[in-house]
Amino acid sequence: MITADRSLMKRIAGGDEQAFADLAGRYSPRLLALAWRLLGNRADAEDALQRALLRLFRSAASYRPEWAVSTWLYRITTNVCVDEMRRRASRADLQEEAVDEEADGQATLFARATGSGDPGRDLDVQRALRSVPREARILLALRYVDGLTYRELARVRGISVNTVKSQLARGKTILRAALQGDTHDLEHPERP
Amino acid sequence: MTSNIQSAPDPIDDLLAAHFRPVPTAADLTRRVLQRLHGSWDPESFAAGVAVEATDRGVTQVLTGGGAASPPTRAAARLAERARHELLEYFTGRRAFFTVPVDITGLRPFQRKVLTLAHTIPYGETRSYSWIARGIGHPGAVRAVGTALGHNPLPFIVPCHRVLRSDGGLGGYALGLPAKTGLLGLERGTPVLEGCATTHIVCRVGCSAGHRMRDDSRVIFASVADARSVGYRSCKVCRPTDRNEP
Repeated sequence: MITADRSLMKRIAGGDEQAFADLAGRYSPRLLALAWRLLGNRADAEDALQRALLRLFRSAASYRPEWAVSTWLYRITTNVCVDEMRRRASRADLQEEAVDEEADGQATLFARATGSGDPGRDLDVQRALRSVPREARILLALRYVDGLTYRELARVRGISVNTVKSQLARGKTILRAALQGDTHDLEHPERP
Repeated sequence: MTSNIQSAPDPIDDLLAAHFRPVPTAADLTRRVLQRLHGSWDPESFAAGVAVEATDRGVTQVLTGGGAASPPTRAAARLAERARHELLEYFTGRRAFFTVPVDITGLRPFQRKVLTLAHTIPYGETRSYSWIARGIGHPGAVRAVGTALGHNPLPFIVPCHRVLRSDGGLGGYALGLPAKTGLLGLERGTPVLEGCATTHIVCRVGCSAGHRMRDDSRVIFASVADARSVGYRSCKVCRPTDRNEP
């Protein structure tokens, strides 16, 4: 797989559009899930993915083979998504209101798009993830969308393996607390 | 890539794995990407024709058709050259801020106010004509704001292209609407905060220290606080800050 990816990259660097389609086809479902979960809706996620793939095509010539192609792709896609998150944070800041992600609708759309899952439970996870600080949330997404190793995560975000571990642990602790808070609320619906 | 998410079973792992499961993409995804590749507006052709006039105090004119008057002094020539350099980087997506000073003292007070406020709109963001009108204390003068921006002698550096209609419509642009759309698209595709994975320093895109970064060392951050939270420190040259910081 890894060698196959590398030879595709070489062909893409030479402008081979079929090789580009093959590589994009291989990774896009995971990259789209990553972008959708980080950005909260399908339209922005598709736009981010297209921009990431555009960047992949343009920068294929500067790809260095000591990178696994998948790590390289996750780096590019995450960079695009993170910048979109910045833009959104500053917009929300400006309007002094959170950007409404229409969470309910998106959870159903996501469940429908992936053809499985429990939209209700998924919505809980989505809400709970909002209380996780951004860098930890990004690492959780990368970890679970494709099971990236600590080393790969460190490479994608340009941080140390120890920081990856502590961020993931912290993210999960916050997530767990937020999810338990949810259950608690369900058990005591009369609470304000 | 294929390491298992290990250790004792934790229900949260299953929830997260379900939450992040892959999504089938549209069949025409790559076709659309290639369309964007072939159909993109070319900012570099713009950059080629850009000429700059300056005084000792700052840049006074950015011309897109060339033909700038020669600078009156050596200090002015240096400023003009620096502005041209920054513009070239801006057009090629390697700069998200300008450091070169502007000199708008020759303009009428109303236009000066409009341009001074427009100058503060951050890279990649937009505001409305009425936001400017309110900001300069003439909430009824939306049309006059449009005219003042339309005669902006410092396009790009004073980012009049970041001003849109309140309903989201593009409004006008002296250099043509395709250029306005193109510039907004360029800014949408260019990040503003990048960290270096080797030095763990976070810079604004365009910082002279950041130019030495290798391409595969560039990591994008959503805020300086985020970068600090994973062990990065701020560049002392370009001093990046978050909006809510002093």
